[in-house]
Amino acid sequence: MEKQTKQQIAFWIFRIFAWCVVALLLGILYFIFSRGWRTISWEFLTSIPEDGMTKGGIYPAIIGTLCLVGGSMIFAFPIGLLAGIYINEYAKDNWFKRFIKLMTNNLAGIPSIVFGLFGMALFVKKLNFGDSILAGSLTLGLLALPVVIRVTEEALLAVENSFRQGSLALGATKLQTIRKVVLPIATPNIITGLILAIGRVSGETAPILFTVAAYFLPQLPTSVFDQVMALPYHLYVISTSGTNITASRDMAYGTALVLVMIVLLLNLLANALRRYFSNRVKMN
Amino acid sequence: MRMIETKNVQLYYGDFHALKDISMQIESNTVTALIGPSGCGKSTYLRLFNRMNDLIDNVRIEGDVLVEGRDIYGKGLGMRIDELRKKVGMVFQKPNPFPKSIFENVAYGLRVNGIKNKDYIEERVETSLKQSALWNEVKDKLNKSAFELSGGQQQRLCIARALANEPSVLLMDEPASALDPISTAKIEELIYELKEKYTIIIVTHNMQQAGRVSDKTAFFYLGELIEYDTTPHIFTNPTDSRTQAYVTGRFG
Amino acid sequence: MKRAYRQFTERFIEGLLALSGTVTSLTVLLIVVFLFNEGLSLFGTSPLENKTALVVNESNPVQKLSAVSIKDIFDQKITNWKEVGGKDEDILIITVNDIGNYYSEEQIGAEFEHLPDCFSRLVDSLPNALAVINESYRTSYFKGHTIDVNKNNLPDFLSGKEWFPTAEPAVQLGVLPLILGTLMVSLLAILLALPIGLATAIYMAEIADERIRKVLKPVIELLAGIPSVVYGFFGLITIVPFIHDVFDLPVGETALAGSLVLAIMALPTIITVSEDAIRNTPRSMREASLALGANKWQTIQKVVLPYSMSGISAAAILGIGRAIGETMAVLMVTGNAAVMPKSILQPVRTIPATIAAELGEAPNGGVHYKALFALGCILFIITLIINIWVERISAKRKFKK
Ligand SMILES: Nc1ncnc2c1ncn2[C@@H]1O[C@H](COP(=O)(O)OP(=O)(O)O)[C@@H](O)[C@H]1O
Ligand SMILES: [Mg+2]
Repeated sequence: MEKQTKQQIAFWIFRIFAWCVVALLLGILYFIFSRGWRTISWEFLTSIPEDGMTKGGIYPAIIGTLCLVGGSMIFAFPIGLLAGIYINEYAKDNWFKRFIKLMTNNLAGIPSIVFGLFGMALFVKKLNFGDSILAGSLTLGLLALPVVIRVTEEALLAVENSFRQGSLALGATKLQTIRKVVLPIATPNIITGLILAIGRVSGETAPILFTVAAYFLPQLPTSVFDQVMALPYHLYVISTSGTNITASRDMAYGTALVLVMIVLLLNLLANALRRYFSNRVKMN
Repeated sequence: MRMIETKNVQLYYGDFHALKDISMQIESNTVTALIGPSGCGKSTYLRLFNRMNDLIDNVRIEGDVLVEGRDIYGKGLGMRIDELRKKVGMVFQKPNPFPKSIFENVAYGLRVNGIKNKDYIEERVETSLKQSALWNEVKDKLNKSAFELSGGQQQRLCIARALANEPSVLLMDEPASALDPISTAKIEELIYELKEKYTIIIVTHNMQQAGRVSDKTAFFYLGELIEYDTTPHIFTNPTDSRTQAYVTGRFG
Repeated sequence: MKRAYRQFTERFIEGLLALSGTVTSLTVLLIVVFLFNEGLSLFGTSPLENKTALVVNESNPVQKLSAVSIKDIFDQKITNWKEVGGKDEDILIITVNDIGNYYSEEQIGAEFEHLPDCFSRLVDSLPNALAVINESYRTSYFKGHTIDVNKNNLPDFLSGKEWFPTAEPAVQLGVLPLILGTLMVSLLAILLALPIGLATAIYMAEIADERIRKVLKPVIELLAGIPSVVYGFFGLITIVPFIHDVFDLPVGETALAGSLVLAIMALPTIITVSEDAIRNTPRSMREASLALGANKWQTIQKVVLPYSMSGISAAAILGIGRAIGETMAVLMVTGNAAVMPKSILQPVRTIPATIAAELGEAPNGGVHYKALFALGCILFIITLIINIWVERISAKRKFKK
């Protein structure tokens, strides 16, 4: 066969595959949007579930997820940021650095259900926090930790060495160099990375199954030792083991759409920030 | 015979005017050296002849580029780009063998051009390796990875790889700049021998090298062709003061 | 003075940074300690729960039974003592519920205070009896003996074909069906996702023009971020009924449904990682190939793909790792039957799904609870191996560059 013909055929195959994938992926989004749209209303977002979770809204689950995202970030953000700075700016290339990097990579690869097991054994049982926001946030925080570290590391790695050398050559200390030169340059990438990490945490279900998530809890939490409902767990419950699965279908579509919207908005925000920051750099 | 000719060629990278109105003629079976300071457009000019610039986005080319009398950017070329590239071989600045065996590196051009006959491929590989003066060094390890060769050997392998296609023109973009002096000498010797069969255009930074290997020399400066003449003339009696300054090493 | 202060702050902050780095490592070690501490404590415990004991008549030569044969006896798959190394006699099972058939309420006592006596006398008088009693029921004059039950052990755990952690009187802890279920669902998912994902990656990196790529890239990133419950929900509503109808099955929740959902979930990762690998092929390699007269497809086939092979295999292995660890989506669509998987059109159960489904009900510290942690250990080890494997591959790539 002519090589040009072969190329044509091959490229068409790839084109078709790619568009099928895109169609499939867009189809999923369309499916969730078109069905969830009808359910979503201000009332849905701000009222509590009723009638065995077949009516009403998902307010407690939204608040619960917010608590968990906030709690996990309070824990993971500072530690992850500092650890990232340490690995990239301070650690010498010795066994200790390699060990930390190896451990960070392994932590990132551990399945989320294993975090759930661990969180239950340590926070819920051993430290006796019970099923609580505290236990759930810490578990999710551990899961987010390697993500934050990696985001920080990559952002710092992208800062050219000439900036550091320039600052050091002017007599600045290492810490001053990091604070005044390196971090400001790396900040946009760190922020966008963090936004995506928040997206990941807000949708995780397995780690909160046994550490915080409540099947049905109409009140809002009053302390960090309270249980809460959470959006992803709520979706799982009403689509598989609710009191009346068919009757809660609309609630499930609505909840799924809220979860997708969270990820969508966070992605848009991250992209917008990326663009904003890169424009600003160009103007300077 | 006139192998290559450019007529009023302009080349733009986006807004940047990289080649300014270049007209030049190159005879067959000669070695032409392109010299000039970094960034003056030598590589860009060289890459016109096998349409390598097409791979870069936002490139705009005006004017005519003729190879064997045919306008290679024109509509009526009657030849695909890959066929043109088979005819106009190229050797790059840094040796870039494929992560394949020595044999497969040389056979690559034949295979992608649809040749299946094993005996013929073997014969071409041997001839090309002999032409590039590498045969004796590699004949016992044709199935070893090309990465096991030294830098100089790798570059001669890349030359063999280009020769296997039996091109009529061989473009060389600073082929010896990444090599040690001994390898460089070998490559220069090779260029001298290859002139018998091929038309060679070589970009070089090295004045002595240009003087040693080329019949004619073209001096480029800021995208313009300043002077083009026989090599002895350019080196001993240049017309333009900028050429004079460059060849005597006053800037570069 | 001021300088000393500044130096001190620098030191302090440096220490703080090092500490944060260490926390991560400690976390991994803590996870290992907790997981394996609970998981390994399973081995050596008895599969008999709640201080249960099995007793037989003194004339019965059987001393030892495995958890599996106990279950077979109680399921009446084994009915004769001969089959477990005893005499040729039918096995007569006696539990607390049966005792009323042999003794009157008076004899047992209003508060069941004579239950130990009844059991002792009954078993002493019936040579073919197998009685399930509470350990405390053993009287001093009882002549028969207690059956020794094999303790839970690693080989049986790994090779056992039955997962029935709440079985009475002996729990069945064989994880083979779970391991096979996990592997089957994950591997099939990657087999489906890899060719499609790779084709899409090639399209995006080599064929599509920049404008199309700029649209596709964010869509794929978005899909990588969507929570797994949402994919599980989508699978439950669309894929499960689809499989149910197309293959005319009693239930649509099958291994195939799990694989399809996982394949969809793996696509964004595979596409992104492969595309990066393809883009990382050095420009000089492409140019060399094109300059020799190869066309674009030949260049992709003969230079780009071989060059990015290690990156692509890293993508595949990474995808398998994710698929093996994925919990919610699989839990929602695979039907969760803990049986040896025979076909992709049957329900299966994976390790993560088992943990998620059962941990809530397993009494804290019991055999079941420990068994679930042991499952967690298996999962941890599998993913650790995969991580190290991926790391090896990417280390080699760096070396090659
Ligand atoms: N891909 C490109 N995009 C934009 N400008 C380019 C590109 N390649 C080369 N140039 C510019 O064109 C000019 C000529 O480049 P080149 O032909 O590589 O010079 P030489 O080989 O003589 O050193 C330089 O100023 C260079 O910056
Ligand atoms: Mg150049």
